[in-house]
Amino acid sequence: MTPKTLDQIMEGRRSQPNQLIEALQDVQENYGYISEEAMKAVSLGLGVPLMEVYRVASFYKAFRLRPAGKNVLTMCMGTACHVRSSRLLLDHATGQLGVKPGEVTTDGLFSIQQVNCLGACALGPIVTENGSYHHHMTPGKLRKLIETLRQKAEDRQNVPT
Amino acid sequence: MLQYVNVNIDGAIIHTTKGNSILNTAVEYGICIPHLCHVPYLSDIGACRLCVVEHVVNGRSNITTSCTLNAEEGMAVMTNTDRIRKLRRNLAELLVAQAPNSRAIQDIAVRCGVKEVRYPFRNEDCVLCGRCVRACTELWKARAIGFVGRGKNRRVDYPFGVRPDFCKQCGACVQLCPMTITPCNGPMKPGEERLCGNCESQLMISENTPGSCTWCKLGESFACGRYA
Amino acid sequence: MSRLNSFRELEHLREQLRNQRKNIKTSVMVCGGTGCRASRSQAVIEAVRNEISQQGLEPTVRLCVTGCHGFCEQGPVMIIEPGNIFYCHISPEDAFEIIFHTLKKGQIIDRLLYTDPVSGKSYRTESEIPFYRAQDRQILSQNLNVDPCSIEDYIVAGGYSALAKVLSGITPEEIISEIKTSGLRGRGGGGFPTGRKWSECKEAPGDEKYVICNADEGDPGAYMDRCVLEGNPHLVLEGMMIGAWAVGARKGYVYVRNEYPLAVKHSRIAVEQARDLGLLGDNILGSSFSFNVDIARGGGAFVCGESTALMASVEGKVGEPRPKDVHTVVDGLFHKPTTLNNVETWANVPSIMLNGSSWFASKGTPKSKGTKILALTGRIKNTGLVEVAMGTPIRTVVFDIGGGAADGKAVKAVQTGGPSGGCLPVDMFDLAVDFDVLAEAGSMIGSGGMVVMDESSCMVDVAKYFLEFLQDESCGKCVPCRLGIDRMLEIVTDITEGRGRPDQLDLLEELADTVSQTALCGLGKTAPNPVLSTLRYFRAEYEAHIKEKKCPAGVCRSLITYFIDPDKCTGCGTCLRECANKAITGVKKEPHVIDAALCIKCGICRSECKFDAIRVA
Repeated sequence: MTPKTLDQIMEGRRSQPNQLIEALQDVQENYGYISEEAMKAVSLGLGVPLMEVYRVASFYKAFRLRPAGKNVLTMCMGTACHVRSSRLLLDHATGQLGVKPGEVTTDGLFSIQQVNCLGACALGPIVTENGSYHHHMTPGKLRKLIETLRQKAEDRQNVPT
Repeated sequence: MLQYVNVNIDGAIIHTTKGNSILNTAVEYGICIPHLCHVPYLSDIGACRLCVVEHVVNGRSNITTSCTLNAEEGMAVMTNTDRIRKLRRNLAELLVAQAPNSRAIQDIAVRCGVKEVRYPFRNEDCVLCGRCVRACTELWKARAIGFVGRGKNRRVDYPFGVRPDFCKQCGACVQLCPMTITPCNGPMKPGEERLCGNCESQLMISENTPGSCTWCKLGESFACGRYA
Repeated sequence: MSRLNSFRELEHLREQLRNQRKNIKTSVMVCGGTGCRASRSQAVIEAVRNEISQQGLEPTVRLCVTGCHGFCEQGPVMIIEPGNIFYCHISPEDAFEIIFHTLKKGQIIDRLLYTDPVSGKSYRTESEIPFYRAQDRQILSQNLNVDPCSIEDYIVAGGYSALAKVLSGITPEEIISEIKTSGLRGRGGGGFPTGRKWSECKEAPGDEKYVICNADEGDPGAYMDRCVLEGNPHLVLEGMMIGAWAVGARKGYVYVRNEYPLAVKHSRIAVEQARDLGLLGDNILGSSFSFNVDIARGGGAFVCGESTALMASVEGKVGEPRPKDVHTVVDGLFHKPTTLNNVETWANVPSIMLNGSSWFASKGTPKSKGTKILALTGRIKNTGLVEVAMGTPIRTVVFDIGGGAADGKAVKAVQTGGPSGGCLPVDMFDLAVDFDVLAEAGSMIGSGGMVVMDESSCMVDVAKYFLEFLQDESCGKCVPCRLGIDRMLEIVTDITEGRGRPDQLDLLEELADTVSQTALCGLGKTAPNPVLSTLRYFRAEYEAHIKEKKCPAGVCRSLITYFIDPDKCTGCGTCLRECANKAITGVKKEPHVIDAALCIKCGICRSECKFDAIRVA
């Protein structure tokens, strides 16, 4: 699916300030993050002051202001996952990848995102990546998952064009 | 057409315009309700919570901020009960522990009866009162600064952290900021923060006549409504 | 299917659809909800679909991909009617056998049946399973009849008949009166009498009004609303329509949390399908009622579950709550009178209108009527979504439905109501699930989250967890919430890291009291609850942390040491290999040793050890 352009995202929304969050969500979905350029376009198109766009983009966790890694590991920090030691998992992930939540690894492959509840509480602790849900995660399973993803990325790079 | 109502504040029956905030009503009359984020010519957001009062409805007291409570006929409000004084003292304690390096904040702490600070001091240079943001948005409509982020990471900033060309450099933000007034004995270095008791402010006098306006320097320096 | 222009056309369509299905002898319901998807139910569904077709059973068998059944840990889950046969932990490879043996020959496949972990017994039908037996699944059971992406399923199951009944002769005043008499109270956490809310909104001046469905469900550990919205969106829509007619609204919004993509998708499909049939739009079913619904997505902010913050978010602004000196039923969305209710509240409305308020009021306690969906999770054997009548004791929920403690540890406490609620110790489990009873005990039903904790949970750590959560989610506008929670967290962190002082407990209580009274919104006002309730019931744990510098549950890292039990250690070397800090030394086949100075207590060795030889002191 080809990503939408900023113009396509603004279609049907022009001069409607209350569409700000929906517009930013489409930008996030299509570009993976909200750039300065995108914010300016949204500001002009909707008729919302730039300060307000920036304010909204920085308030909601769903919006990233910097590009994410190729694989975003979303880790659930909800109560049910917490009593099943999700904190340990997070510490393990940050340790193995060397980045804090919100940052990207130097090879651009991974970033970690904390989320407050994915709603699959009976199956915790949960880690999702690229749309796949992994349940009953342990530090050991997580280490293997990261290595598998890293391997896949390397395989893709090594495939002759 | 202006409508007038009578409200009862601390037993005094006061005649004021309908819809005027209780805070404005009290301050105009001469009853001092401590406040920080309220500025007479800007909107009220109820952020600092210092102006809390007891709003008595059907025999029950609701704690609410007087800057967002609008006068209605027959409203009864108490501004200086033991309960309110304790709440205000605790709020002011939090503020001064967060940012002791401001004479305005120190004065507010003294005015609200803070005698000791039970939290480790921090030396922040912004208490997020929002006066600067509202001045920029409402007075000059430049919208060059605003609140960004959330919770602990909430701060005042320009879009993308860079001063935009539509900032009119009017200085209204600086003028209204309580942090620009340093303590009388000079700025406190990190590690040396304390609850100052030496200010020249006339607030100390108010201990004898609590609740009434003393035309304090604090109010003068940052646009209390009494001076408006 | 063409647009329905009258009640008669709706009934006609219903009859038509039922006729089309009269050849169906067997229904196979497979769960496609988020939980079972994580257990790969999509593959199971495809396999079952293929097998039904390949074995030539298509004309008489109906495969229905339903929403969540509530027993997520047993997924993928399937129910076969007639017979109420319950299969769990299904894999795609089982599909052939299921169709061939069970569907065609009526034979039960024993290995796919549910085995109760407490008694060891196998159960054939869903209704016999202890987990389900003690429940009263008024709303959740409706998930079984419908594919959420099929409005036909909903109509065949009797859907929209409450709307038709209401539009064909019940006045808004009568509806509100019925809801008032039923005793329905808000299911999102506030527990406000729904009838009164609708009445105040209807009386508010203005003729532009709104209804909103709050599907933000921010409480971590709660997923009831996800289940209802994902699994039966039309039920929620129908409730909203009835409410809109009652208060005089012509536009509604469903505000769905960003982290629920399936719920967003299913709500959008439902709205589109309803629009196509004319159940949304102008002159619905030929009446004078016009109503439209839009779906709004959250941006990842717990505070947007608060009504004024939610409305700000729908308006495209930051989710900062505003003071509620004037209520939102008078001044709400776009400054117009707005009725905001939770998903589960809306979902209860159609059945109240169909069965009457006395039917609803016949369940529950004097002040808390009807049933409540709870998300039962944590350290018990059976976790999942349960629905019980109000007044059911917590003990029944945790032990009869939940099956008691997992791993043989003793249940210690239950946390109800999410970050706004509190922890209740096991000796208070006779308390009933009731709005006022739980509130008086220092907790609350809240949205329905119920997390069970055992002796391996440190209650001070739980308080810290919730404070961290709330600090992260606070909008930051007001001083008591922003600075108060920060300082409470500072104190509790000191306590968990061995720096606690006895006078800090009094300070903590005083600060908690101040925050709860002066905060601007519900998030701040209820933020002290986890701290206050754990202090009230588990003060001994706090004191152990402060006076003895010990964590009785073995959780707080600064106060514990990991060591290897030499009697249990076989010297296999697994822990040595897994230790990230190289803190374990030992020779093969000899008991290994952990160097406490290097150990960071990450817990990997403990989770990898197959002999349970790693202990915590």
